[in-house]
Amino acid sequence: MKRITQNILLTLLALGVVLPAAHAANWTADMKEGKPAFKSMGPLAFGPEGILFVADTKGAAIVAVATGDTTPASGAASLKVEGINQKIAGLLGASADQILIDDLVINPLSRNAYLAVSRGRSSDATPVLIRVKADGQPELVALDKTRFSRAELPDAPVDGVVGQGNRTSNPRQESITDIAFFQDRVLIAGMSNEEFASTLRAIPFPFKTVANGTSVEIYHGAHGKFETRSPVRTFVPFNIGNEPHLLAAYTCTPLVQFPIKELKPGAKIKGKTIAELGNRNRPLDMIVYQKDGKDYLLLANTSRGVMKISTDRIENADSITDPVTGGGKKGQPYETIEAWKGVDQLDRFDQQNVVVLRRGEGGSLNLESLPLP
Amino acid sequence: MRIHSASEILERQRARQVAGLHGRRWCRPLQLSLVAGFVVLFSDVQAADPALTTSRPQQPFSVRWASAPSDTNRVTVEVLGLSQAALEKLRRANWKTGQWQQVLSVYAEQGDLIADVGLLPMLGSYRIQSELLRFEPQFRLEPGLTYRAVFRPDQLPGQSDFRGGAISAVYQARSRATNPTTVVTQIYPSAEVLPENLLKFYLHFSAPMSRGRIYEHIHLRDETGKVIELPFLEIDEELWNPDMTRLTLFIDPGRIKREVRPLEDVGPALEAGRQYTLAIDRAWKDGSGNALKDDFQKVFKVGPPDRDPPEPERWNIQSPKSGTRDPLSITFPKPMDHALAQRVIHVMDPDGRLVEGKAALENHECRWTFAPTRNWRRGPHKVAVQTTLEDLAGNNIGKPFEVDLFEGVPRRFTNSVVKLPFAVR
Repeated sequence: MKRITQNILLTLLALGVVLPAAHAANWTADMKEGKPAFKSMGPLAFGPEGILFVADTKGAAIVAVATGDTTPASGAASLKVEGINQKIAGLLGASADQILIDDLVINPLSRNAYLAVSRGRSSDATPVLIRVKADGQPELVALDKTRFSRAELPDAPVDGVVGQGNRTSNPRQESITDIAFFQDRVLIAGMSNEEFASTLRAIPFPFKTVANGTSVEIYHGAHGKFETRSPVRTFVPFNIGNEPHLLAAYTCTPLVQFPIKELKPGAKIKGKTIAELGNRNRPLDMIVYQKDGKDYLLLANTSRGVMKISTDRIENADSITDPVTGGGKKGQPYETIEAWKGVDQLDRFDQQNVVVLRRGEGGSLNLESLPLP
Repeated sequence: MRIHSASEILERQRARQVAGLHGRRWCRPLQLSLVAGFVVLFSDVQAADPALTTSRPQQPFSVRWASAPSDTNRVTVEVLGLSQAALEKLRRANWKTGQWQQVLSVYAEQGDLIADVGLLPMLGSYRIQSELLRFEPQFRLEPGLTYRAVFRPDQLPGQSDFRGGAISAVYQARSRATNPTTVVTQIYPSAEVLPENLLKFYLHFSAPMSRGRIYEHIHLRDETGKVIELPFLEIDEELWNPDMTRLTLFIDPGRIKREVRPLEDVGPALEAGRQYTLAIDRAWKDGSGNALKDDFQKVFKVGPPDRDPPEPERWNIQSPKSGTRDPLSITFPKPMDHALAQRVIHVMDPDGRLVEGKAALENHECRWTFAPTRNWRRGPHKVAVQTTLEDLAGNNIGKPFEVDLFEGVPRRFTNSVVKLPFAVR
């Protein structure tokens, strides 16, 4: 998950930059009531007023669901659910082996956890949305009669080629690796199962026209004199100076920043690499949080644990352009949170706590809140 | 036989002892097993006809698994023996799910003591239909799993003084066939010599596969049998085609020689002059939950890197004759990406319209053929090639995979098209 917005929005509010008033009343005005069709559920992100954005990779769409879950959380709370995969399996009448949790996000209003779950591992698996409230009991979010809107993500049109031609069936699929809501746009990082490229779309919300997604490609030059394409794994919006940026972690682990204003159709964006976080490692999930008046990034990784990354002097950070050798760390300093083992997903719970999905002994998955480091 | 918790077995035994037992084909062995002990009892439940297992009390209630009236492929739980008064109260109860579950809960057993403690009841709908209470699971039952319905008469309206205890009925969902049939049909690129900076493989399977922890089943070894550590880009989303018969496997860009950062520490995945084996192990399960029929290996040698973008102007086009459906053929000087070459190369007729037909690749992806669905028209045609076409190293038309910044090679971002004319005579 990626909590996008809350940090940025809080920052913008603190700076006196408020969202356009017109939006505040109209986030759900264009939604219709019914049952949104999902072929899959992937990355999740919360927007304003309890609106949950659900990425449907198989359906090549983003669905905005008005959850109605807008009652503010009250009082201090914590969350701990051991064997969340087994509990969900019981609820859905399946074995735990057939339950895949594809993303975790916390509703910033209610602090309820939402999980994108696949019941089954095959192509006919059933996607379901699960909510875990403070009592720790997972429940199915009924989507039979809900307010929603949908944005399709069509393939980019090809100049001078119209029609299907020899494409009787298209095996191409764009996996959505992360989504986030920022101000009035849904940002979507995607990766194709054919072309090796990273795309980032910015789609205005409320969704007005379904075909106006824009796509850009992002490059970074962290590798000596060569620059190369690489897929974005996870990203968060973050203010650098007064300028909203995206901080993106790539599949081969450099941390890269670029201004959000550069996300324009057809633009070439060259990111600035601000940290190398070590080799033999993949980033999994990232959030921004504040502690003691400073901003930090919290990044979960496959083999290098959870990193607490300082943003001190990030606005003046030098771009890393030389190969990093001998251990592979450079740029923004970070510390590894040694006690947090096996973290796959994380999202901020409240000002003091984060919720993580972590692997425990015997293959069980635990959902628990931990104090922000 | 799966190992189940002693508490479950005891609960079942208690329930059956209270309720009495009734069944069809397995009625007799089950009665015998009661004498022998509860472990044998469970063994009999496993062996029961999955079509129906029933636990019927002496009086007045019984619980059974039965086909849904609306869909005989779905099974439901039926509670019989409710009084007219109780049925009427339930009909008017307007209960929430949690209240229904107090009366009738159905559990998908997880197979171990820890997991089954605190197991949540399955979701489903509750209805009063004529003379019975029916529970219909919201999701189809999973093959091979054991499901347990527990009915608590004392939770019925007006039955709080009922002393009979809970009644349960177990259903063993029939297992899928366990005969492995799915195989790896092909791995692309199909050539025996691949460039040192190879970007990806495509793994093709004969049937849909399953996702989750797939990379445990894919191994790259060198000629000495040593496993190459983390050579692939392991992506949680797993890059499948929609029907999950093709997986895209990218080499980690950090492990491609003369390239990104981790190289200095861990070395390239592939080096020219050496031989490697890409091995798929049979433990990988297909979409039906069966392992693959066989292991699969692709042995290949590695040659020099390829840093040159494909040059369509060097392709050799062999035109078909008009009035035939002979294939159009294009020969490439080097192999192209198997998936992209079939998707991003099109044929346009003299009017500029796309020609319908089927593309295929031959000769280790060095020859592209196109069979039209209608006869060729006489006149000038064009082959339209999207510049997103890649060779085996990920070089696009007019855009190498890596750009040397000092040489100032511009990048192109539009998905543009190169058109190659040919004449049909």
